[in-house]
Amino acid sequence: MKSVKDMTNAELAASIESVLRKRGIDVVLSGGACVSIYSENRYVSMDLDLINHNFAKRREIREAMQEIGFREEGRHFTHQETDFFVEFPAGPLAVGEEPVKQIDEIKTDTGVLRLISATDCVKDRLTAYYHWNDAQSLEQAVLVAEAGKIDLDEVERWSEVEGKLEEFKRIRHRLAATRSG
Amino acid sequence: MLEPLLGSKNAERVLIFVLVREEGYAREIARFFGADADSIQKQLVKYECGGVLVSRAVGRARVYSLNPRYPFLKQLKALLEKALVFYSDEERQRLRFDRRRPRRRGKPL
Repeated sequence: MKSVKDMTNAELAASIESVLRKRGIDVVLSGGACVSIYSENRYVSMDLDLINHNFAKRREIREAMQEIGFREEGRHFTHQETDFFVEFPAGPLAVGEEPVKQIDEIKTDTGVLRLISATDCVKDRLTAYYHWNDAQSLEQAVLVAEAGKIDLDEVERWSEVEGKLEEFKRIRHRLAATRSG
Repeated sequence: MLEPLLGSKNAERVLIFVLVREEGYAREIARFFGADADSIQKQLVKYECGGVLVSRAVGRARVYSLNPRYPFLKQLKALLEKALVFYSDEERQRLRFDRRRPRRRGKPL
């Protein structure tokens, strides 16, 4: 078994998900860590947002996390062997107004990682860009899009539902560009 | 108005305040309603943990607003706006009256 200090963000998240799953707690990775994974670490996030989409009790999550050496610090969980910190934002699992329908799986050395799809990851970043005009979020969406595994038509459809079609049209060319070399 | 749904009067106060004023901090909301600041703070934290509100630091205060990424935001706003219709004209006016323009320090009333 790999030690926590040697785990990548994906491996650590997969390991935590496995431990929680054994206790009947289903969580899904979302947020900046997904950007890291899909962009092959061209963006680095130390924050693992595991969405508690079935609304498991905090006490149950705390007990499971303590079992694998994590300590609760306010809303986060930290571990002395890693700089990654873990949060369990409340569900539902959604991007903007819509529920997340597809959950992807990646096999890692520490278990199966369940996370939002690359397309939903782009939508997730764009919600912050659309609503707060957050330039960093747009750059993160571009990094994921550049990896070339997103459904741009779906992002366009979703942007229209969010009432942000005009904003989408202005940035479409940036999301359409795939990474070269 | 929404106490049976939201579980407490202060829960409703917090949401109504940030709906109308667009943002607010615990002491400001507590002062406005003559409520206990700790209790208001607890509601703010509860709603932030639940993804309903988001916060940012402004000076020493933590200012809360409705989370534009909350999936039920449109429906929540509609519910709160409906509840607001049942408030008295005076209450609604008080909520909406919010001096935003600058006021020189030390200026007599």
